[in-house]
Amino acid sequence: MLRLTQTLTQWLERGGAEIGELRIGAREKEFSLCHRDDAGREGLAVYHGAEAARALSNLDDHGAYRPLKTAPNLRHGWALFVSGVDALRRALDYFYPAMLGIWRSHELRALSPVPLRETLERQTGMYAVTRKITDRQAAAMIADFCRTDGGCLKRILWPLAEGIPIPALPAEKTEAFAPAIEMPMLCHEACNLLVARAREVVKSGDYLA
Amino acid sequence: MIYKPQSALIIVGHGSTVNPDSSGPTFDHAEAISRRGVFGEVCCAFWKEEPSLRQVLHMVDADEIYVVPNFISEGYFTRTVIPRELELDGPITIRDGRTIKYCEPVGNHERMTELLLRRAAAVAPGVPPAETSLFIVGHGTDLNDNSAAAAKREVERIRERGGYAEVLNAYMEEAPLIADWDTLSTQPHVVVVPFFIADGLHSYQDIPVLLGIEEEPTTAASQREIFRKNPRSLRGRTLYYASAIGSEPLFAELILEQAEAFDLQHSTTPAF
Repeated sequence: MLRLTQTLTQWLERGGAEIGELRIGAREKEFSLCHRDDAGREGLAVYHGAEAARALSNLDDHGAYRPLKTAPNLRHGWALFVSGVDALRRALDYFYPAMLGIWRSHELRALSPVPLRETLERQTGMYAVTRKITDRQAAAMIADFCRTDGGCLKRILWPLAEGIPIPALPAEKTEAFAPAIEMPMLCHEACNLLVARAREVVKSGDYLA
Repeated sequence: MIYKPQSALIIVGHGSTVNPDSSGPTFDHAEAISRRGVFGEVCCAFWKEEPSLRQVLHMVDADEIYVVPNFISEGYFTRTVIPRELELDGPITIRDGRTIKYCEPVGNHERMTELLLRRAAAVAPGVPPAETSLFIVGHGTDLNDNSAAAAKREVERIRERGGYAEVLNAYMEEAPLIADWDTLSTQPHVVVVPFFIADGLHSYQDIPVLLGIEEEPTTAASQREIFRKNPRSLRGRTLYYASAIGSEPLFAELILEQAEAFDLQHSTTPAF
């Protein structure tokens, strides 16, 4: 068995059942997934097979595209059934790409968070300008763009710069630990969406005041 | 044919933060390859979507990883962005007990010509090539991108094979402009094949406007419609507009062959 599948199996055996907005149900080696708000609800549209997760995760309740899969806007009204832990792993990688692997790396102490400054410094082309963002702008942008309520459900592990934490974030936003039922979604480096936002902030002068 | 059940394949696409269809073909090819069991693990990674290039290596267990860029040409992304984001040292990177093999982009594959011809024939069934102008459309003027040169190369290869009355390259943003398709071509039938990886904003929204099929860009949803309306009678010609070449299912084959070609080119590497 692949090590990642093993990690997922062990997490399930220890009572793991939630990741992001997903609720996972298990019966033997059969798994059900749904939006946690829909748990126990009847009349859900039923899907089978891990690959169905791709379409289910692509659009929100209003049919709008979800470029950030860890945004708190997972579609409601469906239930997905998959057979075996390998298929569950594939489904989870559609819903919340790489989150299992990154959590596993974190547990193995093999995850190295990258400071925002480092991420911005190595940008080229249209994103090279992002290194001009001030610390103050960056902190305000992160508090806004990455906020758990409406922005992103991941927990931020990277600092603003080496030894400089991001000010004004609630403690739970930077906490990697989660109870056994939950697999925490960890952010070890600013995503391209945030880098793109940083470009807008630099160009517009947002958050300067 | 390559068979690497202990290895992982990562297919890298551009992705989009605005278009829900951009990553579709890359995921489709990954699923097709995954079903065949050729690789132990098959993943996608994107510049603009998740999993990102910075995340993807955490998703695979294998110690041998093939990375194939699902890009039309060598350029800024294949030479700068992907190697930088994956922290590659060159064609072969050995790090933390893993070997990462960076393969050539799928667009470089010599069978691309065959795929373009298949797509052209499929979109205009029964239409005699001897009375047809075939356009291969690239983007043009992209930052450090060779997609225009790649489109031109394919046009030359198709011309050499013969069959079509004329084969022309055209671009969205540089001459020869696809917007001038009716003056650039002479034949009663005109077939247009976008040399793009996905039916994203360019092939679905921009080119139809330049061709005169649509008056203004449409939304991405129900994209298939635009390709089902063939042929169109426009500007005194019969126009056939194909979907982007990257949606061709045979792309999966070419992705695998790029991985296989890597081992042939770097045969000093010990076999796993």
